[in-house]
Amino acid sequence: MPRTTTVDCAGCPPLRALSFDVLGLIKVIEARDKQGGIPKVVERWGEPDSTKCVLAASIDDSKFNPLLAVARKNGTIEVLNPLNGDLCFSIPRVTGDDLRPENDAITGLHLFARKKLELGSRSCTLLTCTTDGNASLRSFEETSRSEFASNGIPRTWKVCKAGNILCSKVDGSENYALFGGKGVEVNVWDLDKCTEIWKAKPPHKNSLGIFTPTWFTSATFLSKDDHRKFVVGTNSHQVRLYDISAQRRPVISFDFRETPIKAVAEDLDGYTIYLGNGSGDLAAVDMRTGKLLGSFLGKCSGSIRSIVRHPEFPVIASCGLDSYVRFWDVKTRQLLCAVFLKQHLVNVLFDTNFADGGAEGSHSMGDLPAEAQNADETQNGDDETLPVKRKKASKEHKMNKKERNSMKLLKKMKEARSQNPRKVAKG
Amino acid sequence: MGEKRKKRENEEGEESVGVNSNYENNKEEKKKKEILPSMIKNKEKRSAVHAKLKHEKKLEKRKKARARDAAEKRALELGEELPPKKIPRTIENTREFDETVCKPDDEELFAGNDADEFSSILKQDRTPKVLITTCRFNSTRGPAFISELLSVIPNAHYYKRGTYDLKKIVEYANKKDFTSIIVVHTNRREPDALLIIGLPDGPTAHFKLSRLVLRKDIKNHGNPTSHEPELVLTNFTTRLGHRIGRLIQSLFPQEPNFRGRRVVTFHNQRDFIFFRHHRYIFDIKETKHTDSESKKTKNAKGETISKEKVVARLQECGPRFTLKLISLQHGTFDAKSGEYEWVHKVPLYGTETFLMMRALTDE
Repeated sequence: MPRTTTVDCAGCPPLRALSFDVLGLIKVIEARDKQGGIPKVVERWGEPDSTKCVLAASIDDSKFNPLLAVARKNGTIEVLNPLNGDLCFSIPRVTGDDLRPENDAITGLHLFARKKLELGSRSCTLLTCTTDGNASLRSFEETSRSEFASNGIPRTWKVCKAGNILCSKVDGSENYALFGGKGVEVNVWDLDKCTEIWKAKPPHKNSLGIFTPTWFTSATFLSKDDHRKFVVGTNSHQVRLYDISAQRRPVISFDFRETPIKAVAEDLDGYTIYLGNGSGDLAAVDMRTGKLLGSFLGKCSGSIRSIVRHPEFPVIASCGLDSYVRFWDVKTRQLLCAVFLKQHLVNVLFDTNFADGGAEGSHSMGDLPAEAQNADETQNGDDETLPVKRKKASKEHKMNKKERNSMKLLKKMKEARSQNPRKVAKG
Repeated sequence: MGEKRKKRENEEGEESVGVNSNYENNKEEKKKKEILPSMIKNKEKRSAVHAKLKHEKKLEKRKKARARDAAEKRALELGEELPPKKIPRTIENTREFDETVCKPDDEELFAGNDADEFSSILKQDRTPKVLITTCRFNSTRGPAFISELLSVIPNAHYYKRGTYDLKKIVEYANKKDFTSIIVVHTNRREPDALLIIGLPDGPTAHFKLSRLVLRKDIKNHGNPTSHEPELVLTNFTTRLGHRIGRLIQSLFPQEPNFRGRRVVTFHNQRDFIFFRHHRYIFDIKETKHTDSESKKTKNAKGETISKEKVVARLQECGPRFTLKLISLQHGTFDAKSGEYEWVHKVPLYGTETFLMMRALTDE
C-alpha cells in the first residue's frame, strides 16, 4: 500500500552545499531561513557529459577568495570559484610517461588552504593521487586571465608499487597525508620532505588461520590537530583505528554491518566518527570505545559515497548512489531534509561561509525546530557519557515509567473510590 | 419481546425517577440510533436489520443516481454546462507525490540514458545475447520454467550451472560476448528468485519471483512462434523504475517482428512487476447492433443493422509470474564487496517502523 500522506521535513539551518555527480554536474543546494529551512537546488554548473564524471573534489573555503578543485574522469582538474561557478583555470591530463588511462584516474585530491600572503594572488597548491599510486604536489599561479603557470617544480612520488589507491586524506595541519587502497596498507607521508614516515601492518590471521586481504575503502583523521590517529574503513566491513605513536597494527577494530564501509567522516569533538556503507546504512560511532552511538534511520537505500560534517551547525550531509543529498541532525540523528538530485552522486561539500553573507539572521541553534532542540538536550548527556553510564540512564528511565504507571493506578483507584466506595472494596 | 420489556422497564423507571431521567432518556435515544446490526445478538433480528439497512442504502444510492442523471439531462436540454463529474478517491490518486518520477523534458535524464550501461544495446550497436543458468540444485519446475524462458527471450542460451562460481560465469560470459545473464534460483524445487546481470559492467538486479504459472497450466494457452516479440513496459516511471525498465529492455531484440504478433508484457503496479506473454490477432467481427427504438417495436419491424468491426483477440502463451525488486547492485554480481544502488529495506522486527508498518497493513 503506497503512502498517501507526505512526510514533512524538519528543515535545516541556513547552509550551502555543493554536490558532484556522475555526469560531471555540480549542483548548489541552499537552505535559507525564509523558506523554512528547506534546501533547494539553486544553481547547476556544467553540461551533462559522462566523460566529465567527477572523481574527487576539494574546497578551500577561506573567507576571501575561496577556491574549489574538481578532478574529472577525462583527467583534467578544474579549479573553480565556488561562489559563482566560474572556471579559474583547468589543468589538462599529465601526458607522456607510461601512464595508462585506466590507472590514471584521480582518486585523491586536496586543495591546500592558502596562507595569508598568497590570498591576494590567485595561486593554489594541489595534491593529487592516481589509482596506481602516483602522488604529486603541484602549485599553480594565474598569470593572466584564464592562463596559469605551474609555480616551481611539481614534486611527484610513488605511494605504492602494486595495488590500487582508493582513499587518501590530508590532515588538518596539511603537513601529512595518508594513502590506502586495495592491496595497499595504509601509509602516512610527510608532505614537506615527501617521505614515508609510517606504514601499517596487516592484522594477524584469525583463529581459523584465514588472512583477509588488505582492501581499504575509506579513511579519515580522527581530529583536526592530530595527525597520529586516524580511522579507516575496509572492504570486509571492518572499521579500524590506527595510532602512529602506539603500534603498527590497529588499536581498535570492529565490524559494522555486512557491506563495505564506503565513507568515513570525523566529528569536531575528536572521537565521534560517522560511517556509511555500501547498502546505505549510516551510523555514528564513539572511537574511544568502539561502541555504536546510534544509526541514522531514514529511507536511505543506496550506497553512501560521501559524508561531511558542517563545521558550525550540528549537521552532517550524506550522499550516494540513491541520488539524494540528505541532511541529518547529529545529536538527535533525525533526518532534517533530503534533496533529490537525479544522478548518482559522488561527493558533497559544505560551503561554510554562506551563512555570513547570505542570511542576516543569527545562525545559532535557534534555527533548529523546537522539538529537535528538546530532544538534543535529553540526548546530549547520553552521547557524551560512556556507554556504561547510558545503561544506568536507561534503567532510570524504566523506573520512571514504572512510577508513572503506579501513579496512574493510584489516580484510577481514587476516582473509583469517590464514585462508588463499595466496588473498590470488593475488587 | 426483549426490547418491549426493556421499554416498559424504562418507562417505569422514568416515572419513578422523574426529573433526573430526562437527561438519561436523551442519551438512550442517541444510543438506539447508533445501534449497529453487528451489536444485535439474535441472528434472525440481526440479519433482518442488516437487510433493511442495506435496502435503504440501495434506495438512497438509486435516488442519488436518478437525481444526478436528471440534473445532467436538464443541463443538456437547457444547453448549460454539465455539472462537474466527481473523481473517485482511490489509492492511486491519493498517493504521495513522488519527486523521483521521470519527466519527459528532463535533459539530464537523456544525458544519463546515453551514458548508462544499456545505451550500446538499446542503440543497436550490440545485439542482445542472453545466458540463462540456474542455481546449484535445480529440478522439477526450474528446468520447465527455463525452457519456457528460452522460448520467450530470443537469442537466449541455457548453460548448466555445474559448480562454477557466479563470478567465474560472469567472466566467461564476458569473453563470449553475452550481454546479460539470467540466473533462476530455485528453492524446494520451486523457482523463487531471478537475478539479472547486465554485462560487461551493468547493474545486477535481484528479484523475488512468485506466483509462477507455467504454460501447460494455463487454460487455452497458445504456443509462441520464434519471431522477435514486441515488448510492453508499463508504469516504469520513477528513476529506479526507468533503470529497471532499461535493464529488461536490454534483454530483448530492439526491432520486433510484427508478423509474429507476439507481445511480452512487463506491467508494474505498486512495485510488483507482472509478466505476461501473449499472442494477438486482429479479427473482423460482425456485430449485430440493434437500435433501442427498434427494440421496442421489435415485433413490428425486427430491424437489425449489421456492422463490421475490427477486434483484437488475445491468447496467453505463458509463463506467467510476478517479480519484486529486492536489490539493485552497482556493477556485476559481487556479494561481498558489492555497492548497492537500491536495497529494499525491511524494518527490523520490533522497531517502531516495523510496528507502524504492521499496524498499517492490518488495517
